[in-house]
Amino acid sequence: MNDFNFHVKPIGLMDMLYFKKMVPARQKALSCGSAEPFSAERGANKLAALLHPKEQRLTIAEVIRHGADAKTFVLTGEPLAPFRAGQYLSFRLTIGSSVLTRPYSISSSPKWASEGKYAVTIKRQMDGFASPWILDHWKAGDAVTASGPEGTFCYEPLRDTKRVIGLAGGCGITPFLSMAYAIRDGIEDFELTLLYGSRKECDILYHGELAKIAKETSKVKVVNILSDEQKEGYEYGFITAERIRAACGGEVCSVFLCGPAAMYAFVDKELEKLGLERKYIRHELYPAPASPAKIPGYPGIANGTLTLSVRLYAETKNVPMRADETVLTALERAGITVPSRCRGGECGFCRTRVISGEVFLPEALDHRRMADLAAGYIHPCCSYPLGNLSIEVWPE
Amino acid sequence: MIWLVAMPRSLLLFFFVRLCTESNPTRTTIFERGVTSLEHAYDAVVIGAGNGGLTAAATMAKAGKSVLLLEQHNLPGGFATSFVRGRFEFEPSLHELCDVGSPENPGEVRRLLQDTLGIQAEFLPVPEAYRLITTAEGKENLNVVMPFGVKEFVDQMEAYVPGSRKSMERFLSLCESIMAALAYIGASGGKADAKVLMKEHANFLKCGGYSVSRILSALHMPKKAQRILCAYWCYVGVSTKELNFALFAAMLYKYLTKGAWIPRMRSHELSTALEMRVRELGGEIWYNTKAEQILTENGRVTGVKTSRGEIKTAHVLACCSPNAVFGDMMEFSDIPQQQTRMVNARRIGARGFVVYLGLNRTADELGLKDYSYFIYESMDTVKEAARADGFNNHPMQATVCLNRANPDCSPPGTCIMSFTTLYNKDVWGSVPAADYVSKKREVAEHMIRDFERQVGVSLTPYIEEIEIATPVTMARYTLNPEGAMYAYSCGGWDTMLPRLMMLKEDQIVPGIRFAGGYGPRIYGYSSTYLNGELTAKLTLADMKEAGE
Ligand SMILES: Cc1cc2nc3c(=O)[nH]c(=O)nc-3n(C[C@H](O)[C@H](O)[C@H](O)COP(=O)(O)OP(=O)(O)OC[C@H]3O[C@@H](n4cnc5c(N)ncnc54)[C@H](O)[C@@H]3O)c2cc1C
Ligand code: FES
Repeated sequence: MNDFNFHVKPIGLMDMLYFKKMVPARQKALSCGSAEPFSAERGANKLAALLHPKEQRLTIAEVIRHGADAKTFVLTGEPLAPFRAGQYLSFRLTIGSSVLTRPYSISSSPKWASEGKYAVTIKRQMDGFASPWILDHWKAGDAVTASGPEGTFCYEPLRDTKRVIGLAGGCGITPFLSMAYAIRDGIEDFELTLLYGSRKECDILYHGELAKIAKETSKVKVVNILSDEQKEGYEYGFITAERIRAACGGEVCSVFLCGPAAMYAFVDKELEKLGLERKYIRHELYPAPASPAKIPGYPGIANGTLTLSVRLYAETKNVPMRADETVLTALERAGITVPSRCRGGECGFCRTRVISGEVFLPEALDHRRMADLAAGYIHPCCSYPLGNLSIEVWPE
Repeated sequence: MIWLVAMPRSLLLFFFVRLCTESNPTRTTIFERGVTSLEHAYDAVVIGAGNGGLTAAATMAKAGKSVLLLEQHNLPGGFATSFVRGRFEFEPSLHELCDVGSPENPGEVRRLLQDTLGIQAEFLPVPEAYRLITTAEGKENLNVVMPFGVKEFVDQMEAYVPGSRKSMERFLSLCESIMAALAYIGASGGKADAKVLMKEHANFLKCGGYSVSRILSALHMPKKAQRILCAYWCYVGVSTKELNFALFAAMLYKYLTKGAWIPRMRSHELSTALEMRVRELGGEIWYNTKAEQILTENGRVTGVKTSRGEIKTAHVLACCSPNAVFGDMMEFSDIPQQQTRMVNARRIGARGFVVYLGLNRTADELGLKDYSYFIYESMDTVKEAARADGFNNHPMQATVCLNRANPDCSPPGTCIMSFTTLYNKDVWGSVPAADYVSKKREVAEHMIRDFERQVGVSLTPYIEEIEIATPVTMARYTLNPEGAMYAYSCGGWDTMLPRLMMLKEDQIVPGIRFAGGYGPRIYGYSSTYLNGELTAKLTLADMKEAGE
């Protein structure tokens, strides 16, 4: 031991006494605390609870029709979590014996939330399960349950250009509507040029409202593009590279996309022609396809019924599972309320442990953590069974 | 962001008789007992799957005990996790894991995780200790890079501060004395001989009670060398006037002798590996399950009430705050007043704020040469810590370019950075909800710009993904009071040595022990793993004593 004769005080023994004092000093300090009750939920915890509620109970205050196949639901509650334009709510639904969730973008201004209001605009999907049910059943006065605001399809000035080109298809206009309101209301500060594709004039959602916002603020511009109808005052055709280039006006712009999968497939090809760096292109996530049959690389047969063995808090249950649906859908059909929000592989809320069996998880939807992938965790919202499966889930 | 500390695992024997590590498996799960599913019974319930909870659960399970691990979130790890944005997977909290060491020269953490608990994980070495930059000291501003390795560190210090060698050697000799004393105490099986300590470990006793500043002055270390040496102070979050010397010296010495390491697949790799091991060893894990109430009878723990019903157990290992356990999970009238005073007396530790960037250029292209950057206004740590009391132009930053230790952590052509700062008060809790997003962005932008200016690089045009975590974010995911990252401050009287010396008297309600950052070895990755093991071993000793 190369100890040298170290001391702080003139005599080393005094230093040792100092060492010995540590315990009595701590004892004394601990006994001097107040005897008042306390809680761990304070300050930042309270703000966290307000910003990220586990669930929000909302009342349908008003229903607004948009033609035959879409409705806006104005929802009220107190207090409501603030949100960023572009975020969505995940609604919890009970339909027959199924319990399920569906995500819907908030279409109202973030300003509304502070007044206790959100709006969502829902379009009937013809072969859909929940959207037709919602349109046929939700009425003013009903109570509904939603998550807190979720999602990252938002403008971020540190990352995006000051001018953003929004490419919207059909009901994909909803997050952009909220962004347009946020710009008009001075909550967000960027320029938004919307290229909005619809089939016909009558399919344009929020036609008047968007035109009005564009009048109220020079920062929002709207170009309506009709694919199935030639009409004066509208562009005809699709969202093409030329149109996007024209909207950019010679600058490099961030491009945000929201719409159906078919639109992404088309527009992504167009965007390639612009040679934009990846950071400038942002897609809103989309729900995994109902059936895997047409997903490139799917090795299964998408046919028949399999068995899903579910371990739930130390108990095991067997439920039927269709080969042509996601594992999440099988759970929901069985009335098992597993957590889910985005249904598109991104949010990770549905993280589930595979005990045995194999699934097909399309690469484009695979946003799992690396270690989860290695350890055999899946996101069942975008996993399709390739045989009987045994999993462990932890319903909320 | 830290990742200390530094006491031998065997130190738990400091004031304790030798504890059993393995006992006979005595499973008391529902299956053996044949009771209904609502009446689960376990030898021990662990609350919270943070580092401490995971390690505690694995250690209990390995000893053959039936254990249930409850976690309110949907994945393990607490702070030790990861998240995905776009094509990037970010590391939320870990900068440098202390006490891992190489396979040939393993530290306590590698031995615990890999040898004792048998988990599989790949660790990568961090290249250099740190780059330290100060910005408001005029001619005295520092811009230095310090290496790992004792000799390398001393040589580099001599190059920066000619004439520092002697005091540095004395400093390192004190470090060795501390390590040797702790090893002796550990090996003595709780029967450390005061005479031996005074005779052979005199320097440990002479320096162990003082603050870092006090000892460095006593060593007559040149001021500049002191400033360079103290760069890691923010890993503990208290100024060098408040920071216990033994704690700091042990941490720094471990870093110098064992280097720093990180898991390849972010901290989530370690948490997942531990989680799987808990299950392999027979433990049960319930996610999305909050412990709501701790049930007691006659002052003794009898169970835990959860959202899924009541669990019977006599032992709770809490990897969460005493504030939550005694403030929210128990009736005030059931808590001894001494316990209430203890909780109220303790200071909430630093809260973290982190900006995560996924950049669409490589570290080389951006000119990021180092892994770890500390940027302070000055090395007057008292002033610097005081700045962390408020927004004050944002406090210090500890910034990491992950690719410098983990080149393949992001897709080719990209890199990942994280910028961390600390707050010593709950300033984020009083930001109005409507201003929260803009306040976050303001601080984040300031930190990024400051880094760009000080390091002479351009990052902003290359931001492909950005995420910002505040104490509010951490409160959301960990439920720690005020979103604290550093549990209870270890400044002043509440440092590690007296905590360890008071293990027995700190436990007031029999059956409850604290396994995470609120445990005796304080916070940080290595400490919480070791806290978890220590807590499990103490609980096993309780069980043995009670004849369970
Ligand atoms: C972030 C985000 C935001 C969105 N925003 C909007 C928006 O603003 N407006 C909007 O209109 N849409 C929006 N969507 C789309 C919306 O979430 C739904 O996907 C859409 O409404 C279609 O739902 P659906 O149930 O009608 O159709 P599908 O989901 O296609 O319905 C068929 C599905 O239901 C399952 N199913 C069938 N029978 C049962 C049963 N008995 N029990 C359980 N499951 C069954 C099927 O297996 C299949 O998976 C958004 C999506 C995302 C991801
Ligand atoms: S629900 Fe979001 S990943 Fe599955």
